[in-house]
Amino acid sequence: MSGRSGAIFAAVLLAIAAGAMAIAGANPIAGFGALLHGALGGERQLSETLVQTTALLFPSLAVAFAFRAGLFNIGAEGQLIVGGLFAGLAGASFVAPGIVAIPVILAAGALGGGLWGAVAGTLRARFGGSEVIATLMLNIIAALVANYLVVGPLHAAGVAGPETAPLPVSSWLPVLLPGTRLTIALLLALALAAGLSFVFARTVFGYELRAAGDAPAAAERAGIDLRRTALVAMTLSGAIAGLGGATLVAGVLHRFNVALSPGYGFIAIAVALVGGLDPLRIVLAAFAFGILQSGSLTMQALAHVPKDVVAFIEGLAIVGLSARRFAGSRGDGH
Amino acid sequence: MGDIAGFLQLTLVKAAPLIFAALAGVVCERAGILNIALEGGLTAGAFAAVAASYATGSPIAGLVAGILAGALLCGLLGVAATRFNVDQIVAGTGLNLLAAGGTAFGIVVVFGAPGASPEVHALGTQGEGVLIVAALALALALQLGLDGTAWGLRLRACGENPRAVLSAGLDPRRIRVYATLLGGALAGLGGVFLSLGELDLYSDGMTAGRGFIALAAVIFGRWTPLGATGAAIGFGALSALQFVLQRAGVPSELMQALPYLAALAALTGIVGRARAPKADGVPFDP
Repeated sequence: MSGRSGAIFAAVLLAIAAGAMAIAGANPIAGFGALLHGALGGERQLSETLVQTTALLFPSLAVAFAFRAGLFNIGAEGQLIVGGLFAGLAGASFVAPGIVAIPVILAAGALGGGLWGAVAGTLRARFGGSEVIATLMLNIIAALVANYLVVGPLHAAGVAGPETAPLPVSSWLPVLLPGTRLTIALLLALALAAGLSFVFARTVFGYELRAAGDAPAAAERAGIDLRRTALVAMTLSGAIAGLGGATLVAGVLHRFNVALSPGYGFIAIAVALVGGLDPLRIVLAAFAFGILQSGSLTMQALAHVPKDVVAFIEGLAIVGLSARRFAGSRGDGH
Repeated sequence: MGDIAGFLQLTLVKAAPLIFAALAGVVCERAGILNIALEGGLTAGAFAAVAASYATGSPIAGLVAGILAGALLCGLLGVAATRFNVDQIVAGTGLNLLAAGGTAFGIVVVFGAPGASPEVHALGTQGEGVLIVAALALALALQLGLDGTAWGLRLRACGENPRAVLSAGLDPRRIRVYATLLGGALAGLGGVFLSLGELDLYSDGMTAGRGFIALAAVIFGRWTPLGATGAAIGFGALSALQFVLQRAGVPSELMQALPYLAALAALTGIVGRARAPKADGVPFDP
């Protein structure tokens, strides 16, 4: 999408959002004002926006990673949940100084998400099954498994909610700004974006992934093993989303709760597309969507616009951006 | 005997919305549109039905509104996929998010409080029964229509070889749009069944992934109306069994997960090689 048509599209979305606010009986100016104030109005608001940016950045990078390799990973949500579950279990049971425990918790999250991604990757690589259908199903299975475990066998004694036992304070991610929920997870996400940008642009592995996505037939003739690439890409994509789940557990909730994600894995698809599947532009897109996420509650409280209007607009954005040509686009292959 | 009759009845009640949505999936996919917005179609239909019944006091108006809402949502996918060559999977994901956000927003705007609507005039037990019979009748009609009519041949050709349809002087893109409108109407009807047939209100998230179970039923039923209906009835029976087995200590989540696990199994081909229409999900650009 060129800059000009992008601006027109953004203006249309803003107009629709204003219309929705008017339908809800609110003054659109007051609605947008409350949204921006809630997201950027002070140190506390800005830090919360960055918390949301971070939460979106991991699954968005995961989606972009798979899409670049020509794989439709619609399953970042499920991978994030399984990653969070693994991290929550590791964090609650493994007590060690933070310098040891935190890497273990994050690795557990990446492992969980990676395993979940690998299931879809295996179905694709080994059986030619559609990763779209597989990841859609795995999202729901992840939610059911998590719900079963934390309400049933893994439910922490003396805890009311559907959650695991809390992590010891020593295992919490260090906070960047005292008194806020902004942790080093932001730095980790930014480093990951920079790293992925480098991998795509400068490494043989990144080239192979892009080739498999852009021109699978040519890639195969050039000796790239498409099956192996599909499995590796889905696994790593899942691991990135799972790492994001782990940072939510160790940085924000300090335990695994079934309400870990309000749909970050789905919004991530919009973020990845707005960012043009380019890791560095995705950082900016994640910040923009972070503003929507963190400002929507203030908008609801002050301007009486139901916060769900944000999901509606995000959905519209995805539909509009789906017109982008996906080079690896093909049938669903099942 | 009473228990068995009750179980069969519950099976049909649980299966009906899945049948409508699965038939929607079959119609769209056989025409070459991979419609993962079935969940959104169910949501839109269920919500619009309750909103219209609330506004007019007539559940029949609700029924019509639900069908139209489903057709509108999935028709958007059809138009976007044929006129703007969007990626169907990404657009479908967007439509699901749009429907979830739009209805959550709509609950507050129409009914004044978040979460759920008040009780409205519903179709009642009789209406529920009529819709179940309609679902089964539609399955048979679609099977016969797809197999034995010129309409069915054209629609299937769009899903296998749209270029041939063009050579025959027909516009495959137009046929695909009509297929998504018909599919969307069916998905909307599934939503109507949920909100005005089985219940008499709309609540957030009440479709609970049925649109995705329907996608699984389509694969299991090998893209045929009767096959998908059979799979939907099987999944309905699992859902009905859940109430029985839960009392015996089987975790309900396991029962709920079975349709999705079955879909994963179908992808491995162990239940026999299932083949999607050749041009399923492939944009047509003459």
